[in-house]
Amino acid sequence: MPRVSDDVVIIGMGETPVGKLPGLQSVQIQAWAVQQALVDCGLRTTDVDGLINLDPYAQPSSMFSTTLAEYLGLQPTFVSTVDVGGTVTAMTMLQQAVWAISSGYCETAVCVYGENTLTGRPKGVQGLVMNNLLGGEEWEEPFGVQGMVVPYALVAQRYLHQYGASTADLGEAAVIMRRHALLNDNAQMKKPMTLADHAASRTISTPLRLFDCSLVSDGGGALVLTSRDRARKLGARMVGIRSIAMKATHNSVAQMPDIEQFGMADAGRDAFQSAGMGPGDFDIAMLHDAFTISVLVTLEALGFCGPGRAGDYLRSGAASLGGHCPLNTHGGLLSQAHIGGMLHITEAVRQIRGEAGRRQVDGARRAVVSGNGGVFSVCGVMVMEATK
Amino acid sequence: MTSGEIKAILPQPTEESAPFWAGCDRGELLLSHCGECGHRFYYPRRLCPKCGAGSPKMRPSSGRGTVFSFSDVHLSFYGTAWASQLPYTVILVDLDEGPRMLSRLVGEGGVAIGDRVQVCFVEMDGHRLPYFERVPA
Repeated sequence: MPRVSDDVVIIGMGETPVGKLPGLQSVQIQAWAVQQALVDCGLRTTDVDGLINLDPYAQPSSMFSTTLAEYLGLQPTFVSTVDVGGTVTAMTMLQQAVWAISSGYCETAVCVYGENTLTGRPKGVQGLVMNNLLGGEEWEEPFGVQGMVVPYALVAQRYLHQYGASTADLGEAAVIMRRHALLNDNAQMKKPMTLADHAASRTISTPLRLFDCSLVSDGGGALVLTSRDRARKLGARMVGIRSIAMKATHNSVAQMPDIEQFGMADAGRDAFQSAGMGPGDFDIAMLHDAFTISVLVTLEALGFCGPGRAGDYLRSGAASLGGHCPLNTHGGLLSQAHIGGMLHITEAVRQIRGEAGRRQVDGARRAVVSGNGGVFSVCGVMVMEATK
Repeated sequence: MTSGEIKAILPQPTEESAPFWAGCDRGELLLSHCGECGHRFYYPRRLCPKCGAGSPKMRPSSGRGTVFSFSDVHLSFYGTAWASQLPYTVILVDLDEGPRMLSRLVGEGGVAIGDRVQVCFVEMDGHRLPYFERVPA
């Protein structure tokens, strides 16, 4: 069973504003996020000797950890650039930070991602422009598939058929995320959304409509980790990582297994076993929501509800603020911003520290975070908990 | 069958995939067969993704299968040049031999999960792409 060392904790988190940050390059946005995270824990760049990041998708760049280290004026003893996919990338960054710190490669590590995905794309282009290769091109492009929306549409169509679910079930996820985003000043979406608005939004790739799709965003997020001993000496506010587990099953949608065979259930089982917790033990759930269907499939794979029951679960109020396990209290990728899932983790830190303001979940101590890269190609689950 | 309104990005075959695409040009849908464990798979590669054995052989598929999922695509990924073919239908097909394959559905009428389909080869710029059409019930 995968185990995460208890000797390393998260002591800082930072976010840049999200939406449009015109005129800034990815390295500058990442540096801004690092700065915010260091201010948050009272450290300076001179305290950092480990740096882990993800290079921008819209403008693939080599050696992006040293690009950022140079900008920040760091000479780290551990650098790494990680691209696993979705929020699993962020979890893998944290995992590397824990390994690097607990084995003496560095003392204080920063994990960061951010880019100018929205303002950096060419004029007149819709959706996310990924200039890097996804790996399935030869078996996707001749069949009219490019990027992620058609793959997720194929999952959604199958889901609806298999469980007799409806597009209104998808809409529930979109509406909850929007309601939560309206309580977050740092969210791209500012207008309320109803189920009728969701149903009236334009069709992108059946059964997915515009409001089933996550946002394209500029912005960045960063996390600071150090040893528990050092955190105590600093008097830092600590958040613990209890477990991280992942499972990769395929890459391209052309190799997609059945929905029940996605890696999320396995990753969830391993992460829950490792943490000694189950789906009933969490105060908040930060689930990767690149598309509404991702939320429904993940809720079921993690055991929050039975197969095909996610729509009912969402309608019950359980996943809304005030419910027993509020989902994506920051608004998620659907309504806050798509910063690769980094902000799912900064939000979990904020909630566990009790600093989420008007969207604070009373007494939040335990969070489950999920990620899926590609089209559920690689799935990850992480358990976070308050610690001293 | 010729492409008419259909637009697509043509594949750029590798040494490994060239026999597959050449098969399409001849009107054959080739699947890879593992000589050791008997696993049949798509797309072609140098080893069996199930057991790891090398030297899989390619053999023609019946070209028949069942729709696992589909999506009508209403968005052009390639600007206004593609607008005229919208919406088009992408399908995941479970071939009778086992492998799942991503493709496009052509021909008249709607589609439902579970529909039976048959491969057809649509000509485009001198190449033929393995698309599917419904088998009349």
